[in-house]
Amino acid sequence: MKESIVGQLILKDLRLQREAILFAMAGGAAGLAIFEHGGVTAMFVGSIWFFVAMAVIACMLPIAAIVNERKKQNLAFVMSLPVSPMQYTTAKLISMVAMFLVPWLAMVAGAVLAIETRGLVPRGLIPLTVIYLLFPFVAFTLIGGAALVGESEGWAIAATVICNTSYSLAYFFLTQVPGLMVDTLKPAPVWSRTVLSIVGGEVAVILLMLALTFFLQSRKRDFI
Amino acid sequence: MTDVAIELNGVGKMYPFFSLSNIDLQVPQGQIMGLIGPNGAGKSTTIRILMGLVHQDCGDVQVLGHRMPAEQVAAKWDIGFVSEDMRLYDSMTLGWHMSFVQSIYVRWDAAYAQLLLRRFGLRAEQKIKGVSHGQRVKATLLLALARKPKLLVLDEPTTGLDPVARHEILRELTDVMADEGRSVLFSSHNTQDVEQISDTITFIDRGRIIDSMDKEVYLDRWRRLRLEVPWGVTLPALPGIIGVKQDGRLAVATANAFVPDLANAYESSGARVHSIENMTLEEIFVANVEHSREEVEA
Repeated sequence: MKESIVGQLILKDLRLQREAILFAMAGGAAGLAIFEHGGVTAMFVGSIWFFVAMAVIACMLPIAAIVNERKKQNLAFVMSLPVSPMQYTTAKLISMVAMFLVPWLAMVAGAVLAIETRGLVPRGLIPLTVIYLLFPFVAFTLIGGAALVGESEGWAIAATVICNTSYSLAYFFLTQVPGLMVDTLKPAPVWSRTVLSIVGGEVAVILLMLALTFFLQSRKRDFI
Repeated sequence: MTDVAIELNGVGKMYPFFSLSNIDLQVPQGQIMGLIGPNGAGKSTTIRILMGLVHQDCGDVQVLGHRMPAEQVAAKWDIGFVSEDMRLYDSMTLGWHMSFVQSIYVRWDAAYAQLLLRRFGLRAEQKIKGVSHGQRVKATLLLALARKPKLLVLDEPTTGLDPVARHEILRELTDVMADEGRSVLFSSHNTQDVEQISDTITFIDRGRIIDSMDKEVYLDRWRRLRLEVPWGVTLPALPGIIGVKQDGRLAVATANAFVPDLANAYESSGARVHSIENMTLEEIFVANVEHSREEVEA
């Protein structure tokens, strides 16, 4: 036996999706560049562009790395290797989260840095930005789980449609949270109990989705 | 180490519109077994069960001494598996796939892989999306063979190949099988391919194994007797005859346990035996399936 099979499968996925990750980061960077150009229109277009880049990677990665692997019949090749279904699931979840985290962290850091350094919008907007940018992460775990457990393009597309139409709904609910929008106009970020509760809730949903995916996969009797 | 490569006992699997029932199968070490069945007979399901990819509802499966599916990881270190519906990654080259598999298997034989590249006329730097179906099958076979498996499981590998590609693959498999320690399970609905390389043959139909024995014994025991039946003569029901088709004075009897006494018995009844013909594996397969279906429906 050479290196861990799970490690090899993770490296394989990273290599296969390398271009998609770079493409997403380039999209996010382009959004930030437009945002930093200044002016209300540029900021509006830039932030939309930026968010769309993140939403796209949240749905494209599961489709490319999970749905297509099954649809294009690569899964039989992978499962001919000395790997169990649960090792495959473990490798897939780790590689997916890693592949999403790389552009996500870079883009969140880029957005926070842009707000901190350029002074185009109040720094009080940072907590809301973090809350809002966690939504694609939640969507990513939901779409990834649906793709892995559902074993079909249909489930992944359904999850994608639900998530993509929920972003504006989520924003609407955020605007209804007492005090949250008022704090966005302040010159310094306010990490209130409300903000931390929402961030904690989002992180909990992400962890719950990953755990649920793992649990449902472990109960499967037929893998191909 | 066990001397049985594959052993299935009483294996069953239920699906809404198909079921695999009471599958008993044994492939001794060093043996090449051909698994023949029509489309939808249960060949792929049987193979997926023995690879641990599908859990059987009942029965025991042992592959290279490992219980399946629980010990599939340990078993798969020594299995080379190629199936008709297996595809490599389109966007990557064959060389990338070779490096990937080599990174996993300590027994990967790089020199043999290079030899197979040349023999199959493949190029390591070519992307998979640019190769033909035949080359893709050869590439998959290369990746399975160069890891030096003790057991080779081939699920319809020659389906959809042109005659030249089929010939190249079968020739390579024949060479591989010179290694007497290696066992092979080869499924196909193409009886010619199976006949060419197999030691033993198993027929499967509608989720049941209908017959399994040494290839030479099959070819030796099955015969077609062409008879002339004069008016007023009734052919007797004889043991070993599984079917008689009569059209006027001419009749054809199919024997699955032929002995010369069968011909004598027909002669004694008043019929004339015009010829006793050997049957091809395909004819045996078709006759076997038809006989099995008649038995089930009776």
